[in-house]
Amino acid sequence: MSETAIDVNKEQQLKSLQKMRLVRALLPIVGLVLVFILFNFLTNGRMISHLHLAMSQVYVTMIASMGVFFIMTMGGLDFSQGSILGLSAIVVCALSHYSIPLAVAGGILTGACIGAINGYFYVNRKIKSFIVTICTMFLFRGLIKYLTTNSPVAGSVDLLDIDSTFFKVCCTAVVVFIGFICFTFTRFGTHLRAIGAGEKAAMFSGIRTDRLKFWVYVLAGAITGFAAFISAIKVGSVTSSGGNQLETQILIALVLGGMPISGGAMARFENFVVGSLLFVVLNSGLTMIGFTTQMMQLIEGVVFLLFVAIFADRQAIHVIK
Amino acid sequence: MSEDIRLQVSHISKTFGITKALKDVSFNINKGEVHALIGENGSGKSTLTNMLTGIYPMESGTFTLDGVQIHPKNQVDANNLGVSIIVQELGTLSGLTVAENIFLGHEDRFMKFGFRNTHAMNAEADRLLQRYGFNNIKASNMVDDYNFEDRKLVEIVKATYFNPKIVVIDETTTALSQEGREVLYKQMEAIRAAGNTVIFISHDLPEVIAKSQTITILRDGVYIDTIKSADVTEDQLKKLMVGREVTGDYYRSDYGEKISEEVVLSVRHVTVPGIIEDVSFDLHKGEILGFGGLSESGMHEVGKAIFGASYDREGEVKLQDGTAINDIPTAIKHSVAYTSKDRDNESVVINQSIRDNVALPSLDRLTYGSSRFLSWPRIKEFAQKFAHEMSVKMVNTDQFVSELSGGNKQKVVLARWIGRGSDIVVLDSPTRGIDIKVKQDIYQLMNRMRQEGKSIIMISEELMELIGMCDRIIIMKDGKISGEAPRSRELDENSLISMMV
Repeated sequence: MSETAIDVNKEQQLKSLQKMRLVRALLPIVGLVLVFILFNFLTNGRMISHLHLAMSQVYVTMIASMGVFFIMTMGGLDFSQGSILGLSAIVVCALSHYSIPLAVAGGILTGACIGAINGYFYVNRKIKSFIVTICTMFLFRGLIKYLTTNSPVAGSVDLLDIDSTFFKVCCTAVVVFIGFICFTFTRFGTHLRAIGAGEKAAMFSGIRTDRLKFWVYVLAGAITGFAAFISAIKVGSVTSSGGNQLETQILIALVLGGMPISGGAMARFENFVVGSLLFVVLNSGLTMIGFTTQMMQLIEGVVFLLFVAIFADRQAIHVIK
Repeated sequence: MSEDIRLQVSHISKTFGITKALKDVSFNINKGEVHALIGENGSGKSTLTNMLTGIYPMESGTFTLDGVQIHPKNQVDANNLGVSIIVQELGTLSGLTVAENIFLGHEDRFMKFGFRNTHAMNAEADRLLQRYGFNNIKASNMVDDYNFEDRKLVEIVKATYFNPKIVVIDETTTALSQEGREVLYKQMEAIRAAGNTVIFISHDLPEVIAKSQTITILRDGVYIDTIKSADVTEDQLKKLMVGREVTGDYYRSDYGEKISEEVVLSVRHVTVPGIIEDVSFDLHKGEILGFGGLSESGMHEVGKAIFGASYDREGEVKLQDGTAINDIPTAIKHSVAYTSKDRDNESVVINQSIRDNVALPSLDRLTYGSSRFLSWPRIKEFAQKFAHEMSVKMVNTDQFVSELSGGNKQKVVLARWIGRGSDIVVLDSPTRGIDIKVKQDIYQLMNRMRQEGKSIIMISEELMELIGMCDRIIIMKDGKISGEAPRSRELDENSLISMMV
């Protein structure tokens, strides 16, 4: 009798736990819709009428945050994305004078190389990922400043000609779709989540953890290298601040999207998609209302803190003996 | 009679979320006795003692210690009230010295004008260690310099030096080797002789009957009975714990079966620097090969070495078809499975669903046709099938492994390798910290696998289960093989112990 009572209890407990998880999963999406409606109301519909302008920031953030999403799923961090974007954009602009496909390949390769440096120090030298990537952030930011000392690196005119909302939407959609398939329907995603949830146990399940960790950093670099191309066709040139603060934007976007900071099994693919949309809506909404930059940072900081508090995995793990 | 009562547990209840861990539990514990607390996993033993020692907050009910109601707020508070605990896993803090660990929370006695007199503290700790006879441990050394076993000894000192009225020993013996256990038994006896009380939690029933005077049984958070150890047999205890008769075989019952000549795995001159040295043996088809020894003998590393999980391994591990096993993916691909002694860190991914855990090593087979794309319906079906086959107690496969008890976690581990269809299975301490019912399930499963022609290596610190289950037992000592014993009815623990020490 007591056995069944406990089973019923367990079932109720699990139901409430699943409800909690569902709330957590839906909260960012609901938040996105609410914030969108709120800002349209506050700006008398200006946001919808200027949607393509508001959305112009989203492509780069969304593409680049996919790479960081993979890294964070396996429990790592990456602060070097801004510098990767800046340096890759310089390469894209410089090579665009020869050929556009070459420029794209060059950007991706540059990003992949920096990712490989991150991966090498993280995996082979066993240094914490946030320390490694903060170092590479400073290192390559310095290089960007050096390369742009005299004048910004300008791209060819052909580069700007490609720029259209349709093209950027297509590029983003294709990248996100490929990412979705790989994350959900191949071993890649399951292995990443296993590493995030417990690296040693993942290794003992036959996952080549070190190899995968290295390649994920390379992949994230390459993805940001591609984002640099999207960024270059929009701006046309790179200054010393190219890609500045991208890493913080990505981090905020991921957290807004409900990404657990420590990664693991609770990471969901829509986290970064919803998160980067929410971030951009929030950002452009606040601008349209007419807040100063300082005020905006303050508000965003409060929102960020709120979301971290909600999504940090504080749930105590009780095993009743 | 009433003046002999040390602790009155009355109407204690405790809930976690909506799970009732303890339901209105009341009983008395006397002075000068070793009082065992037994029950299956999830029966509420640890919950009760954790409340008594201030690790969990109280909910309803009272503890009355020597006629005074106590509500310990934390472990230090509990110590001051005269209650201390030795926990199942590591209870010492890394990064502190032995002395700092012993006097943790009680540094006041060495404080002068806001400064700590480290010298006096170390001297006092050394004096205590000498008194207990732990001469190899030095108070001023970092606790990290010592192995698991010695750190447990430090914990014993920490929990008993101030003559507490009640010492709780929570499943400590499962983590100790025979030597360590003897030391602990001696301390338990000393505490009892001094008129104080030991609350002793253990799954090892012969140990419970031999070392305690009184036994209280809990089942599913409900108090069942308190009985004198002298009046009870192991079978009666099992029945009280499980609530019904334990039927069927426990260990294997066959003797004299011939082992196949076919060698499925040969290990030659395997050395892992500092841990094992020049280990060679063959594993035959359908054989259960046991590895026994003290926990530091290197036997646990043998399992890792076979699975390709050791760093800097030298020597050769070869399968029947000549494949050399040098890393984990190769091992898994060629039908070798491994369950670690460190279940929560190495065997299962705790913070992940049962489904993912069961399917993880077999993902390459759970795709659409021969493509590389995963089929989630197939994964789900696969996990469900093998979790049910192992009768994992769960609501569904979406449940996280962290929510399961130790025995059920182990079932998840076994389900994944049975699902993978591994032919060579290395089990390191498969029944560690697991209750009788699940132990019996695991023994029966091993026997079935053996009959199906699978080969098993069983590494264990419990000699009884090695003797009960294995075709051959290899004993390790100081990283080397020190002896071998074939299966026989006459084999007893003493002959194996003589090879171990």
